[in-house]
Amino acid sequence: MVLLQPDPFLNELTNMYERTKEKGSVWVTFKRSSMKPKAKRKKLESAGEVIEYRCLVRATDAKKTISTSLAAKDYLRFQASYATVLKAHMNALKKRERKDKKKSAEGEKKAAADQNKPTSKPNP
Amino acid sequence: MVYIDSWDDFVERSVQIFRDDPHSTRYVMKYRHCDGKLVLKVTDNRVCVKFKTEQAQDVKKMEKLNNIFFTLMVRGPDVDIAEVTGKEPAEQQVSKKGRGRRQ
Repeated sequence: MVLLQPDPFLNELTNMYERTKEKGSVWVTFKRSSMKPKAKRKKLESAGEVIEYRCLVRATDAKKTISTSLAAKDYLRFQASYATVLKAHMNALKKRERKDKKKSAEGEKKAAADQNKPTSKPNP
Repeated sequence: MVYIDSWDDFVERSVQIFRDDPHSTRYVMKYRHCDGKLVLKVTDNRVCVKFKTEQAQDVKKMEKLNNIFFTLMVRGPDVDIAEVTGKEPAEQQVSKKGRGRRQ
C-alpha cells in the first residue's frame, strides 16, 4: 500500500482510470481515521479529547493500491480536484435521453454480452 | 447486500450509519468503465447500504455525496451537513482574502 501526498495520489488515480478503460474496476474508499494505533488513541481519549481526525482515501485497481490522508486544511482543494478527475473519466454511463432509444438499446446489448462472458466453468 | 432504489434514501441512511459509528464507517465507490457501472457502498461492518447505477446523471449526485462525506469525516459527525453547498462559498471567501493579502 503506497501512501502518497494528495497531488501525486490524484495523478496516480487518473492513471488508474486510464488503465481500466477496456477492462477492470477502480475502487475508491473514504474513511475517517486518526492515523494512530488503538492504544495511543485510548490514552489520548482518557487524557483529553484532542484527537485530530483525518480522512483516509484509498484507491485500487485490484493490482495496485494507493492511499492518501487528508487533514481539515487539505480536503477542500482535494475535493475539487477529485471531482474534476471523476467527471473527466466517468463518461461510460448512460445518458438518460428518451429520444436516444437506439443508444440505450446498444448499451443493453453490450451489458448482455458482458454477462455471457463470466459463465464459463471448468470441466472436471 | 441491501441495494437502495431511492438516491435520497441512500444518502439519508448512509449519513445515519456514519453518525452512529464514525470510527468504523467507510464509503466505497466502485467504477467499471467497460460495463458503464457505478456502485456505492456505505458500511460500518454491521449495517450496509448500497446503491448501483448506470446513469450519467447520478455522477453529479455522487459528487455531492462525496462532498458531504469529506466534510463529515474531516470535521466530525456533528457537523451540520444540510448546507454543504452553503459552506463552500464561505471557505472560498476566506481564501480570496488570503490571496489579496499576499499581493
